[in-house]
Amino acid sequence: MGLLSVIILAPLLAAVVLLVVPNRSRGAVRLVSLLGATVSLVGSIKVALRYDLAVGGVQMRENLPLLPDLGIAWKLGVDGWGVSLLLLTAIIIFAGVWASWTMKDREKEFFILLLVLVAGVFGVFVSLDLFVFFLFYEIAVLPMYLLIGVWGSSKAVKKAGPLAKVLEPFDLGGRQYAAMKLTLMLMGGSALILASFLAMVLHTGVGTWDLEVIQVTAYPAALQKLLFPFLWIGFGTLAGVFPWHTWSPDGHASAPTAVSMLHAGVLMKLGAFGVIRVAMICLPEGAAFWAFAVGTVAVINVVWGALSAMGQTDLKYVIAYSSVSHMGIVMLGAATLQVDGWNGAIFQMFAHGVMTGLFFALVGLVYERAHSREIFEMGGFAARMPAVAVFFTIGGLSSLGLPGTAGFAAELLVFLGAWKTVWWWAIPAIAGAIFTAVYVLRATRAIFWGPPAELPYPDVRDAQGCEWVAPILLVACILLFGLAPDLLLQYIDPMTLEFLGPLGDRIADSTAGVTP
Amino acid sequence: MTPLKNNETYLADLVSGLGAISLELGLLAVALLVLVADLLLGAQEKRGLGPLAAVGVAALLGASFFLPGLDSGEFAGAYVSDSAGLYFKQVLLLAGLIAILGSVDHVDRFFPSRQGEHYLLLLFSLTGMLLLTGAQDALAWIVAFELAGMPLYVLAALHKTGRGTEAGIKVYLTGAASTAFTLYGFTLIWGLAGDTSFATLSSVPSQPLFALGIVMVLAGVGFKIGAVPFHLWMADTYQGAPAPTVAFLSVAPKIALFAGLVRLLVEGLLPMGAIWRSALIALAIVTLVQGNFSALPQRDTRRLLALSGVGHMGLLLVALAAATPESLGTLTFYCLAYVVSNMGAFLVVGVITDNGGSGSLDGLKGLATRAPGVAMCMLLFLLSLGGIPFVAGFWAKVLVFWAAWKAGFSFLVILGALLTVLALFYYLKVARSIYIEDAEENTPISLAPSTQLALGICAVAVVGIGVVPGWFIQPAMDAAALLLP
Repeated sequence: MGLLSVIILAPLLAAVVLLVVPNRSRGAVRLVSLLGATVSLVGSIKVALRYDLAVGGVQMRENLPLLPDLGIAWKLGVDGWGVSLLLLTAIIIFAGVWASWTMKDREKEFFILLLVLVAGVFGVFVSLDLFVFFLFYEIAVLPMYLLIGVWGSSKAVKKAGPLAKVLEPFDLGGRQYAAMKLTLMLMGGSALILASFLAMVLHTGVGTWDLEVIQVTAYPAALQKLLFPFLWIGFGTLAGVFPWHTWSPDGHASAPTAVSMLHAGVLMKLGAFGVIRVAMICLPEGAAFWAFAVGTVAVINVVWGALSAMGQTDLKYVIAYSSVSHMGIVMLGAATLQVDGWNGAIFQMFAHGVMTGLFFALVGLVYERAHSREIFEMGGFAARMPAVAVFFTIGGLSSLGLPGTAGFAAELLVFLGAWKTVWWWAIPAIAGAIFTAVYVLRATRAIFWGPPAELPYPDVRDAQGCEWVAPILLVACILLFGLAPDLLLQYIDPMTLEFLGPLGDRIADSTAGVTP
Repeated sequence: MTPLKNNETYLADLVSGLGAISLELGLLAVALLVLVADLLLGAQEKRGLGPLAAVGVAALLGASFFLPGLDSGEFAGAYVSDSAGLYFKQVLLLAGLIAILGSVDHVDRFFPSRQGEHYLLLLFSLTGMLLLTGAQDALAWIVAFELAGMPLYVLAALHKTGRGTEAGIKVYLTGAASTAFTLYGFTLIWGLAGDTSFATLSSVPSQPLFALGIVMVLAGVGFKIGAVPFHLWMADTYQGAPAPTVAFLSVAPKIALFAGLVRLLVEGLLPMGAIWRSALIALAIVTLVQGNFSALPQRDTRRLLALSGVGHMGLLLVALAAATPESLGTLTFYCLAYVVSNMGAFLVVGVITDNGGSGSLDGLKGLATRAPGVAMCMLLFLLSLGGIPFVAGFWAKVLVFWAAWKAGFSFLVILGALLTVLALFYYLKVARSIYIEDAEENTPISLAPSTQLALGICAVAVVGIGVVPGWFIQPAMDAAALLLP
């Protein structure tokens, strides 16, 4: 069995083992989960080291026919993008397990679902078969329903919008509403994805689900233009693309800490990854046709998300909307169909994943102690939890793209790409970054550095024991990849060129045909 | 019917044909054994009848994998036993086995004196269903259709309560209407073709009046499979009939009838494909939409499952309408996935109600803490019905879409895919009761070993099929490939 299969199956195996671990042995439950996450983390690091940069392309292939008659195979392989995203996922799940160490309610089921979910995420990033890709995609999305529905918090979930009206007769509580909304919207997206996959597979002429065959199939331009929006909306729903992003603030705000970390940190990336890896690379002419719309909507995302975040007083909602805004930057990078933009998009996935993971881990810590998430009710916590305050500030600085943090390199690349493609895209995008500075700094000041709160908050103290692991790991990543972005870009850049090379020709061909 | 030969060859034909119906004969033998045992056993010993029937059916299911070579036509072309038919028969035997195991405890507790009737009727019905999967002659088809249907009227009414009687009356009246429609349709087709054999049908020139006959047959069958607008009896019957019977009723007749329709439409009336295809597509659309939407507001678990089952029938109708080798293979496999998921779900509801719980969604509240194992099984069944990866239903769902898209039904695929989101909503509603809401009462739930076995078979199958789908899909595809000329 190859290394990639090990990475995917380790969490699944841990989940199966957990099934037979008795509920009472709480230590064992945690150890088994941690073991599963650690194997994946070590495996991912090993993949990054073993990946031969001089050769590039797809490496460490595994190919096992599943249903040969239907053209379905367990085909895995990792490319430069995959390496970065595997690393991100492994870091986040490892940190996530540590962040859930102090869970007290039905931990066993919680960890099982968490591990199943993460196996799905790993699977999507390394699948080279669309069927297996879809299978993992669904696995990654579904456990979320129970994770939020059972362990989430109903506090502060605002029911608004058309779906709230539809769900009204079912009388769902706050977290159940959030869970249901999230699941339904994402599954609606995956219905569109499945339909487009079927169309793509059956139009290859040989009926294979092999992604590498599909990405070199020249589909008729009309079909590409028809299918692209399906995939864009389908995957875009998970990526938080406006106006399909509304599940994400509610979902993230009500989810328990580790789930928010995973969901904002890696799951939303699946959506953006899907748009780039499947929609744009396999349907280049469709992408070229729709790129302007994708980019413009992405710009709206950036600004809308940032403005919404500014309007929130609940800390988790602030972070959740900031994710919407930052995913807009990823999508903007994608829409450029250009080297800098794509490099930036992939790098931003990593940077935002680590950063938002850190944020949610810290918010969990603050909430556990202050029992409040209302920004303006807290204050002056820096004196009593100095390390948390510093970590939170570093996360915030990365979020607004300060040089020296991972966020800077990513955003700079995207803005560069955007400027080169449609110059005015860069303006609202940069404005969005400024809004980000406003809400992030405001929240940081109010909670940590501002004057002490009126209420006493007796439990507020710094992180202890296991709680250190997640923040330290994530802060280290932010700084490491901020100071040395090339560590990741050396994987990402050659891959981008490899994907864009043939793509550029095909896009050029199609536009050459269109222009008189 | 082909002209009769002289008596001697006819007899030889008959005897050699018995091999083709060996499974049906075996079932008949088990049924008669149950009948005799029922007469001989005392009131206290009647509880042994269930295990007896279960062992018999299990033995037949096991033996079915070792049947000698399959022949094409037997009994002067009136019956065929091919690999597709065998697959259907095995699925039906599995359904029968699960139903019998699931009812051992229920029957013993609620109508102990009528155990014999229960198993006997169940086995007779199963025999009819098996015959239906191979019937290639209008007469044989009708006889099998009736044999499969009639025992169910009694089975559904074994609870002597208001709801139980309502269940029985409804299934009986719709069954009678169904027979009338089907017979009238067959009369038309038969009269126009001049022969009852399906083989002859395939060479008869198409005539407009055939459309009427086909529509009549589809309406009649529509009652049994619960296609909209003929589905109205289902929710009430499922709510009132004994739970294990409902589990059986919700899958077995449907599967047998889909097998029967494959024989009639795909093998017999293929030249009239344009007619029945458009009728099936129309039926599929309304069934998918109405089934899923009407399941949405249900608060009784069995009504919810009944109407969600209507939605599943819509997908099966899509597969049948496509009528390509892939779609028929998918149809066959879908039946298997549907049996284990749907029967499992109904059995769990039965466990709850047998333990004094309510049949509504409230009855499932807190099941995760009251009986974690049962809750886990139910979650698996729900996920499978909702089409989630690594359980059986996922492969069934995706394959139907794949086959239908390949046959050019992209519109139906998009409609179906979006409706599965709706379906997921109500399945999750059930999951919510089980896992998220707290129990109203905390009485422990007791499970008889036989029920445990039935649930175990379902759960293992749901996961097994989900993990190694190739073992089950490949034979279905191979078998279906032989169906079309």
